[in-house]
Amino acid sequence: MPDDRPTPFGPDPDLREESMQLGADPEMIELRADAASEGRDLELPGGDHKSKALEADAAATAEQKRQRRYLVKALLRSPTFMVGLIIVLFWVFMALFSAFITQSPTLTDPNISLAAPSASHWFGTDDLGRDVFARTMAGARTVLIIAPLATLLALLWGGIIGLIAGFWRGITDEIIMRLIDVLLALPIIITSILILSLLGKGTAIIIVAIGALFTPVVSRTVRAAVIGEREREYVMAARLRGERSAFVMVREILPNITQPIIVEGTIRLGYAVFTAATLSFLGFGLAPPSPDWGLTISVERVFLQIAPWTVLFPAAALASLVVAVNLITDGLGRTFSK
Amino acid sequence: MLRLIGRRLLLMVPTLILASILIFLLAEVLPGNVGRSILGQYATPEDVAALNRELGADRPLVVRYVAWAGNFVTGDWGESPVQKVPVRPYVMAALWNSLILAGFALILIVPTSIVLGVFSGLRRDSALDRVITVSTLSMTVIPEFVSGVVLLYVFAVWLKWLPVTALAPEGAPFYERLYYLILPAIPLMFLELGYIARMARVGTVQVLSMPYIRTAVLKGVPRSRVVFGHVLRNAMVPTVTVIGSQVGWLIGGLVVVETLFSYPGIGKVMVESALNHDVPVLEASVLMVAVVYMFANLVADIVVALLNPRIRKGG
Repeated sequence: MPDDRPTPFGPDPDLREESMQLGADPEMIELRADAASEGRDLELPGGDHKSKALEADAAATAEQKRQRRYLVKALLRSPTFMVGLIIVLFWVFMALFSAFITQSPTLTDPNISLAAPSASHWFGTDDLGRDVFARTMAGARTVLIIAPLATLLALLWGGIIGLIAGFWRGITDEIIMRLIDVLLALPIIITSILILSLLGKGTAIIIVAIGALFTPVVSRTVRAAVIGEREREYVMAARLRGERSAFVMVREILPNITQPIIVEGTIRLGYAVFTAATLSFLGFGLAPPSPDWGLTISVERVFLQIAPWTVLFPAAALASLVVAVNLITDGLGRTFSK
Repeated sequence: MLRLIGRRLLLMVPTLILASILIFLLAEVLPGNVGRSILGQYATPEDVAALNRELGADRPLVVRYVAWAGNFVTGDWGESPVQKVPVRPYVMAALWNSLILAGFALILIVPTSIVLGVFSGLRRDSALDRVITVSTLSMTVIPEFVSGVVLLYVFAVWLKWLPVTALAPEGAPFYERLYYLILPAIPLMFLELGYIARMARVGTVQVLSMPYIRTAVLKGVPRSRVVFGHVLRNAMVPTVTVIGSQVGWLIGGLVVVETLFSYPGIGKVMVESALNHDVPVLEASVLMVAVVYMFANLVADIVVALLNPRIRKGG
């Protein structure tokens, strides 16, 4: 599948076939069947030692906290993660505050059209005499609104679908997976062109379109993670207590698959930046005078021969953001897989 | 093997039908009134109704889909209301141009990524390995219009080694057309390079850890013979395998690169027909891309089966 390739950076792909078959404990299945047939909660042997259970709970919580601290420390020591994080934070800062630092990104001045970089205009000016430095800094805003929101949407929808498909399996799972196959029968960029040409332009539409198109891949990842967890003892225990499916999915399984979801989220974030920039370059994104990088490169590229700075600075900015997001993905993937 | 191909061809039919329904629904139903979307908001209601009748857009959906699909299969793709030309020759010429560009890019991708991947695999964890891995992966994640614009500036504007346009003058010989395609093909190559080179690297590292390599080295086989006889051959298998799975990325790349270089391929036709609401051209080009995409995936699966005896015999 085209949009299914694992993180471009990140740990090396394993070529060996790994079969992680988690065999269900036959004894537990019997206990569960008994409980179901009698229609009452099963009392596990030794289940009434409340203080012991509480102690174990506290120990488990402490262990979780310790692990989280260890992960954060490992991330802070990872040079790829830190470089990526610093670049992304720089662009987030510029997206938020560039209006107070730079000149206006939309102020035109025909007297200085296509001026070369100088002390007053660090990156030069474009065909309408707008300051390229101001536009490059402000250009971070649209992409940093669209990409994270689209990723969150994809994680939300994909998370719900993946949890349901992986937890219930059977016919539900089968139908969902076949539908996903059909959705992925066309390359994502082509489906998004089709959708955007019909629904029109606009930030909200792009966010929803990218989010919807990334949903199938996310739900596959979540489904695989859920299948790895659903036969574990703690899930059995929750079911034996008679918890509702929704509770087991959201409160028991979900907290245990946050790591693959976080890694998947950062991978999708990289692709969302890529896709959002590509769509606005193709003319399906925003309209001028937005300083969006993809749009600027598309509009100003006719001046590449006489005023390359109008194109090359936004191009470098976009490249730095995409690479930085992928460096973060790489750092997270390596730390989690240790 | 023949049975495997036959089964896959049969499986393609329902997928294609579903994809065509999806394309049809997206292109014809979502915009609502077809005549209105072609004529624009200032046309009179009578004109819109007349055009709808002429296009057959006032008939029920199922009838329209069957008529459209039937015409498509029999080769009658209609006429473009925007370009005023028959759709089929227009789309097929663009598809042919794209296949030339994509084929040229693939020819560049395979040797480059294998050489880079095997090199960094042989010098695993060295500075060279890090440089190759990080730079090829960066090339892969950077959007192709960014790398394309930078390459255009460096090689066409600044150094003047290569032409700015992608299309050779009319009647130019084939090798000259390829010369014009070098610059557009490189961003396409970048798009795949990091991933495929990484597979070649992993393949190399794994082959190097095999006992028979140690035996060969201990027997005193020269290093060049070990590399060319054993390592290269075995590192090829995973590399070729992943190339097939990347066709979707190549198509996405074509859309962008053809727009950037104004190359009259299927990607540019798709973008323009989508922007101009040229529905017949949009439908035909997207459907043709879907057909090519599925065939490419089939060919990739067959190549994998040929390389892997376990699948070959099991199929």
